[in-house]
Amino acid sequence: MDATEAAAVLARARQGDSDAFRALVERHSRSVFRLAFRMTGNEQDAEDVVQESFLRAYRQLGRFESRANFGTWLYRIVANCSVDHMRAKQARHDQARGDSLDEAMELPAADAPGPERMALSAEIQRRVQAALGALSPLERAAFTLRHYEGRSIDEISAALGLGTSAAKHSVFRAVKKLRAALAPLRSLQS
Amino acid sequence: MTHYSEDDLTLYYYGEGRRRAAIESHLDACAACRSLYSEIAGTLAMIAAPEAPERGDQYGLEIWQRIRHQLPEQDARPWRALWRSLVAVDRLGLAAAAALLVVAAFVAGRVWPRVPAPAAPQVAGVSAPAAADVSQRILLTSIADHLDRSERVLTDIMNAPDRGDISTEQQWAEDLLTTSRLYRQDAVEAGERTVASVLDDLERSLLEIVHSPSEVRAADLEQIRRRIDAAALLFKVRVLSEELRQREEAPAPAMPRSSTRKTS
Repeated sequence: MDATEAAAVLARARQGDSDAFRALVERHSRSVFRLAFRMTGNEQDAEDVVQESFLRAYRQLGRFESRANFGTWLYRIVANCSVDHMRAKQARHDQARGDSLDEAMELPAADAPGPERMALSAEIQRRVQAALGALSPLERAAFTLRHYEGRSIDEISAALGLGTSAAKHSVFRAVKKLRAALAPLRSLQS
Repeated sequence: MTHYSEDDLTLYYYGEGRRRAAIESHLDACAACRSLYSEIAGTLAMIAAPEAPERGDQYGLEIWQRIRHQLPEQDARPWRALWRSLVAVDRLGLAAAAALLVVAAFVAGRVWPRVPAPAAPQVAGVSAPAAADVSQRILLTSIADHLDRSERVLTDIMNAPDRGDISTEQQWAEDLLTTSRLYRQDAVEAGERTVASVLDDLERSLLEIVHSPSEVRAADLEQIRRRIDAAALLFKVRVLSEELRQREEAPAPAMPRSSTRKTS
């Protein structure tokens, strides 16, 4: 689909043509899933976010400015849907999350992984996942966009509807928590 | 000498911040900041992007199938909006009622013995593992019944005429969908992974049936059938149901010795 064709499809979708919207869904689903997976860290949550993002996009198509890039606009919706989804999930499992935060911060220090222990990279991944799971939804979203997606603070701020300072501090808090979780492994890594 | 904060160095690592040149020359001169920066950079370098599970070429189509019936209509005439909200409420009510029935049935199954209990005196001595085994059997029996009912819906869909009304099957599938979700959660909690996996496949197909137009087009029906076929769903449902029945009939594991002594 070239740029002219994409613009025509988008215009038809904005007028309520569901076949045109279907073409957009089919075109963007995989990239939306990849982002949702990175944001949530969980396949089932990512699937839920994908569906909710497209439904939200459809409802908000009237507000989309045709000069803007649809992919960028959609990526903002996915980021916000992910935050909302994680917040809802957090509210449901608030107690459990508190436990996992403690767990993330209290993982035993690894002196040296012996041959019987799992590989160092697997241990790093385990700690990273635990620490990411302990972040607030906003911290996790900001960190994911900055670290994995390479988005600037200004872009993160626009995507999540935050002030620049709030976006920056969400990243900082996430980095601090991740550093604390990974500190025991730093000496082994270097 | 003024040192840079952890936050400044984090921004520097990500190529942001307005004082990049100043930070760079400071790092050359200051061992403390250089050490802190090295620690931050080393930690962040350890965090690799997670590999997202691959999604096939048909993924976009699958997503479309899942959402297309949830898209709000552009034509928002008042009577239609009212009708939609009434239907939504009705569906919620049905789902809640179905969930309540399942819970009630499950509780009833646990409270009322299914056969006269000649070994009633044993109850007091039944160990926790034995009680867990009983509850597991009840669950598996219920799931086997559920699979049998689902098989009939799937078979009807596989044999339905290419054009026509499938609203009866849809109603049936919708009822099964609610219970299927509950059983899948129970199966996951009981560690029955295979059962949970088949129920997950089943849920997708039931969802697709429910979300199809009741006056189904031949192409849509063909697509549903292809998915059922591709997942070998009917086969899995039959085999699993049979397997669960066999497990139901298998003798219960031996009671712990202490219980046996008490009853003999």
